[in-house]
Amino acid sequence: MPDAMLQIRDLELRYAGVPAVRGLTLEVGRGEVVGLVGPNGAGKSSTLLAIMGMVPPYRGEILLEGRPLAGRKTEAIVRSGVALVPERRHIFPELTVEENLRLGLVGRRSRDGASDDLDRVAALFPVVRDARHRAAGVLSGGQQQQLAIARALVARPDLLLLDEPSLGLAPAVVDGVFEALAEVRAGGVTILLVEQRAQFAVGFADRTHVLANGELRLTLSPADAGDSERITAAYFGA
Amino acid sequence: MTVLQTLVDAVALGLLYALVAMGIGLVFGVMRLVNFAHGELLTAGAYALLLTNDMPLAVGLAACFGAVVALALAMEVVYRPLRTTTPTTMLVTTFAVSFLLQAVALLAFGARGRNVGVLSELNRAVSIGDLRVRWVTLVSIGVGALLLTATALVLARTDVGLQMRAAAMDATTAQLLGVRASTVIRFAFLLAAVVAAAATVLLTVQRPLVTPSYGFQLVIPALVGVVVGGLDRLVSATLGGFAIGFATAVLGDVLPADGRVFLDTALFLLVILVLLVRPGGLFGRTRAAWERV
Amino acid sequence: MRRLAELSGLVAPVLLLALVGVVGTFTSRSVQFQFRFALVMAAIVIALYVFVGSSGVVSFGHVSFVAVGGFAAGLTTVPEALKLSLSPDLFPVIASAEVGNAASLAIAAAVGGVFALIVGVPLMRLSGLSAGIATFAVLVITNNVLRNWEAIGPGARTLSLVPETTSFLQATVGVIAVAALAFLYQRSRWGRVLRASSDDPAAAQGAGVDIYRQRLLAFALSGALAGFAGGLLVHLLGSITTQQVYLDLAFLTLAMLVIGGFRSLWGAVVGALLVSGINSLLLTAERGLDLGIGEVTVPTGTRLVTLGAVMALILLFRPTGVTGGRELTLR
Repeated sequence: MPDAMLQIRDLELRYAGVPAVRGLTLEVGRGEVVGLVGPNGAGKSSTLLAIMGMVPPYRGEILLEGRPLAGRKTEAIVRSGVALVPERRHIFPELTVEENLRLGLVGRRSRDGASDDLDRVAALFPVVRDARHRAAGVLSGGQQQQLAIARALVARPDLLLLDEPSLGLAPAVVDGVFEALAEVRAGGVTILLVEQRAQFAVGFADRTHVLANGELRLTLSPADAGDSERITAAYFGA
Repeated sequence: MTVLQTLVDAVALGLLYALVAMGIGLVFGVMRLVNFAHGELLTAGAYALLLTNDMPLAVGLAACFGAVVALALAMEVVYRPLRTTTPTTMLVTTFAVSFLLQAVALLAFGARGRNVGVLSELNRAVSIGDLRVRWVTLVSIGVGALLLTATALVLARTDVGLQMRAAAMDATTAQLLGVRASTVIRFAFLLAAVVAAAATVLLTVQRPLVTPSYGFQLVIPALVGVVVGGLDRLVSATLGGFAIGFATAVLGDVLPADGRVFLDTALFLLVILVLLVRPGGLFGRTRAAWERV
Repeated sequence: MRRLAELSGLVAPVLLLALVGVVGTFTSRSVQFQFRFALVMAAIVIALYVFVGSSGVVSFGHVSFVAVGGFAAGLTTVPEALKLSLSPDLFPVIASAEVGNAASLAIAAAVGGVFALIVGVPLMRLSGLSAGIATFAVLVITNNVLRNWEAIGPGARTLSLVPETTSFLQATVGVIAVAALAFLYQRSRWGRVLRASSDDPAAAQGAGVDIYRQRLLAFALSGALAGFAGGLLVHLLGSITTQQVYLDLAFLTLAMLVIGGFRSLWGAVVGALLVSGINSLLLTAERGLDLGIGEVTVPTGTRLVTLGAVMALILLFRPTGVTGGRELTLR
C-alpha cells in the first residue's frame, strides 16, 4: 500500500512496566475506514493515545503519511491533520456548545474556510447550531457524541480517530451517529474506529482488526458482520 | 466613622486582594501550581516605583508594569521543569523561588523599608455627603472593578481566553484538541502580571513602606482567600480573595486592639475549618480536583 | 544476612552524622557552633521526614512542633524570676517549673508529640495540597499565639539565658537517636503500611488499611521528634524568639528534605548536612574566606541569594533530590 495514511509497526506500550499493547502492526490507507475491536483492556484506547503522542511507545514506531511521529508533541500531531474523538466524549460540559466547537478550530492548520466547515458540521449535526448557546453538559448523550465528532471535524483532519463512539448510547442513537460518520467518510476523511461493540465496527469499516490482550488476533471484513460466532471466538482467543 | 465608611474601605481593600488572588488563580488553573512567589511580583513592582520616585508618573508606571511582566515571564520559564513533577516539589520550589527573590531584594535594597511616593496625593480625602473617603479608596474600587471585568471579558471572548478556560477544566482534552500548554501558561502569567502591577500601584499608595518581604506579606492572606474561596475555579478564588480583604478591613476596624493581634489565628482557623468542611472552597461547587495525594 | 543488609540503611546515616560530630570537635570555636547547628538541623529534618517521607504529604507545620518543643525546653530550664520578669502573666505551673537538661528534652518531645496529635486529629483527614495549606495554617496560628499570649511564654520577647547544654556529644547522640527511631518506625509494620498506601492509596484502601490512623501515628511520632529537636535547638542557641522558629526555618528544613530526597532517611540526612554545609561556607565567606591565595570576601546578603539559588536549581532540575530518594545500603 504505497499511499498509507497511518502505519503502526511492532508497537509496544507499557504502563508502569506492564505491557498494554504488544507487537501491534497495522496500516490505514488514505480514504480507508479501519476498525479496531476487542474487549475492555485490550489496548485499543492506548493505541489511539500513542498515535496522538500522549503515550510514548516503549518499542516500535508510528508513521503518519510515511513520516515517523516519534518525539512530536500532541499539539504538533493535531496540526498535521489527526483528530481524536476521545472515549466518553470529553466535551467541556461547562462551556457552551459553540465554545466547544471553537476549541476544535484550534487544531486547524489555517483559519481559511473555517466558517464553511462550521456550516458543514451544522448541516451534519443540526444540534450544534440549534443549541449553540447552551452549556454542552445539558445535551443528551447522543447529542454530546455528535458534538464531540463535530468538534473533531472542524479541525479539518485527514485522519479521524474515534474511540468508542457507541459507548453509553441507545442502539437507535448509535445508528444516527454511524449515518453521520458515513457522510464523513464520503467526504474523504480516513477513519480509524475503535469499538468494544464489534458489530457496529465490522459492518461499517472496510476491514476490522480484533485486538485482545494487547495483540492482533484476526481481521474481519464487512461480510463477517453477521457472523457473530467468529467475532466472539476472536474475542476470547478460542 | 460610620458603618458605610468602614464598608467602603473594606470593599476597596477586598478588590485589591481579589486582584492578587485572581493572579494566583489564573496560574493555578492552567498549571496546577500554587505560586508562592506571586508576592515577589508585587515586590518587584513596588521597588520599580521606588526607584522612579523622582521621575514623571508615566515613567514610574511603565517601570512598574515592565518589571512585573518581565519577572512573571521569567518565572514562567523557570517553572517549566515543574510541569511534570509532584505537587510537593512544586510547592516547595515556588517557595524557594520566593525565598531567593526576597534574598535578592535584601541584597540589592537592604532590609530597611523605604517609602514610595508615587501618587501619594491620592491619600487626600474627599467628602461625599457625610462620608469622607480617600481618593485611593475610590480609585481602587474603580480600577479593581475595571480589571476584574476586563479579565473576565478576555477569558470569555478571546480565543486564548477560551483555551485557558478549557485547559483549566480538562488539560488532557485541551491538549488533544491542539491547545498549546506553553501558550496558555505564558498568557496566564502575563495576565496575572498585568493585574498584579495595577494592584501594586494602588497598594503602594495605601502602604508606601516597601521592604524585601512586601509582597510576601500580602500574598499570604491572598492565598488564604484563594483556598477558602476555592482554588479550583477562578471565580471562587477571586471571590475568596475579595472576602479575605473585606474581612481583614472590617475586623481591623471592629475588633478591639488586644483582639486584633489574634486576627491571623482567626483567619487561619477559618482556613482549616473550610478545608475540613468544604475542601472545594466556600464558593466552589464540587470537591476539589486537586484533592489527591 | 538479609537483616544485615536492611540494617545497613541505618548504618550510613549514623556513620555520616557521627563523622560530622567527630570532625566538628577538631575545628575552631566559631566553626564548632556551625557543626552542632548542622546536627540539630539534621534532627529537625529527620523528624519532618518521618511524616513526609512515609505519607507523601507535605507539611509546613513541623516547625510549630519545633517551636513548642523549644519553648517548653527553654521555659523549664530558666529560673522563675527571669521568666516572670519577661512575662508576669505566665501560668504559675510554667513559671515555677524548673527541671534538668534531660528532663527538659523529654518534656519538649512530649509537648511536641501531644500537640501534633491534637492537630493531627482533624488535619490528617486531608491530603495533597489541602493538607499542605492546612499545615501552613497551623504554623501561622502557632506563631501568632506564641507571640501574643503571654500566659504561655515570653510573647514577642527573647527567651534568653537558657542553659547551653547542647554539646557535641548531646547533639550527636541526640540526632543519632532521632535517626534510629525514624529507622525503626520505617522498618515497622506501620511505617511500611503507610508508605505502601502513599504509593498506591486505592490498593491500600482495598486492603483495609486505615490511612487516617496510620498518618496520625506518623504525624504524632514525627511531632514528638520535632519537639525533641526543638529542645536541642534552644539548648544550643541559649535563647529563642518566635521569629526564629517560623517561616524561614519551615522553608529551610522542608527545602533540605526535598533537596536530599524526601523518600529516604539517607536523603533527609544528606539534604540537611549539605545545605547546612553550603550555608556555613557562605557565612564564613561573608566574613572573609582564606583560600590560600589571599582572602576572599563576598558582600553580606550573598549567602541568602546563593542558598536560595542552589535550592531552587536542585528542586527544578533534580526533583527527586540529590540521593534520588534511595537509601544507601549494601544491596
